[in-house]
Amino acid sequence: MSLSVLICDDSLVARKQVAKCLPQDWDVQVHFAKHGEDAIDQLNKGKGQLLLLDLNMPIMDGYQTLEAIQTSAIQSKVVIISGDIQPAAHERVKALGAIDFIQKPVNPGQLQAVLKQHDLLNVSDELIESSLPYSVRDCYQEITNIAMGQAGDHLARIMNVFVKLPIPNVNLIEVSELHMMLKDIEKHEQVTAVCQGFIGGGVSGEAVCILSDSSFGDVAKILNITEAVDDQIQLEVLMDAASILIGTCLSGIGQQLDLSLRQGQPIVLGQHRNVNELINQNQNKWRKTLAIELSYGIEGFDVQCDLILLFTEDSMTVMNKKLAHLLEENT
Amino acid sequence: MSKSALDDVLEFHWMMDMLQTVDVGIVVLDREFKIHMWNDFMESHSGLTAADAKGHSIFAINPDINQTWFSQKTNAVFALKIRSFMTWEQRPYLFKFANYRPITGTEDFMYQNIAISPLTSATGAVDYISMMIYDTTDKAAAKKQLEALQVHVDESNELT
Repeated sequence: MSLSVLICDDSLVARKQVAKCLPQDWDVQVHFAKHGEDAIDQLNKGKGQLLLLDLNMPIMDGYQTLEAIQTSAIQSKVVIISGDIQPAAHERVKALGAIDFIQKPVNPGQLQAVLKQHDLLNVSDELIESSLPYSVRDCYQEITNIAMGQAGDHLARIMNVFVKLPIPNVNLIEVSELHMMLKDIEKHEQVTAVCQGFIGGGVSGEAVCILSDSSFGDVAKILNITEAVDDQIQLEVLMDAASILIGTCLSGIGQQLDLSLRQGQPIVLGQHRNVNELINQNQNKWRKTLAIELSYGIEGFDVQCDLILLFTEDSMTVMNKKLAHLLEENT
Repeated sequence: MSKSALDDVLEFHWMMDMLQTVDVGIVVLDREFKIHMWNDFMESHSGLTAADAKGHSIFAINPDINQTWFSQKTNAVFALKIRSFMTWEQRPYLFKFANYRPITGTEDFMYQNIAISPLTSATGAVDYISMMIYDTTDKAAAKKQLEALQVHVDESNELT
């Protein structure tokens, strides 16, 4: 059973930042709370054996939260993460039962040191194995680079534009991170996203293509769409851009791994779809996923388009095997 | 004719039979958009026989399709050898067919998901593309009902 961590801060940015600073290979379930009352609610439900708590928050601040934890005898360990650097604040929270105090903005090294000091980092052997070694990450990055090179060439020729090739960002991400990423899409009214499943040869996953709304006009221009860009045309543009980006990228990766990846019908992640629920349902099925993020730009146009390829944990076994020959050559 | 050659012909025959009878519309087009295959699904729903459709331009058979738009869409399929997709959310249908369930169905026409794939020849070139037309009417109707229900719930929440 993995440790459950509750991050409580009224700022979304701060919550994200703290979550990002958690050690990558730490097997934890991350939950979020917007203020003290929210946190107490969740603690009472058994979430958050470790609470990372901000001090200044509306409704119920950090001090009141610590008091409430003491009075209801909740067993969670609490680490304060706050911008309040006064020694008095430090003393007060310690007196109220907090085990440590970290100054904002938090950085990964500092957080890790604190977690280590309090023996909270129980990294099992299995987890060390599943974290992404540098050489493997490098390999995925290189494969994506090559696929992108081919795709870029195709795109440039068909659209008559210069495509600024993105540097792929390869990471193992947690459910919670994907959650945040998708929630961001949902919140951001200025983006529209399409997702498409792919499968083949023991490898499967999903591709998510996100286009910022300000890009639609220019993408329509590139795709030679002359009509006024209304909602329907926007969807059309996104679908076309997604088909091209996802298609070229997957076929490039597939070629190198000697796989034929078939794509399912794309789905619009619109506002009518509750992304949150979608992920919740699957939360037990997977813990980590390999994510390749690509950010596209096109020279001379205001286009911001992100492509995220998410591979399942199972796929990685197959892919790592296929990559083995590349890795051997490297060493 | 040797045994294996006969087997090949027989196999080809039942494979064709399968493509004809599958409950998905299949249309094969060349670079000039002339129709080379028009399966049973397309025949039944359009009322146009394969003999009538074959050899004709898709734009002549279905004037609803905007030529410039469709050429651009398929250009990527020919040139990049990728699949191109249309969903019913984006465009309810490309071929205006009646609802498969004309009595109990709630929608008048068939919502369609369409996938356009390159067909690679033995030489590796893409001279033909296939269109697969899927009936998504039930999905679309369910989503519409759900949305109507959401609006209803929101409205009654506002009243209370």
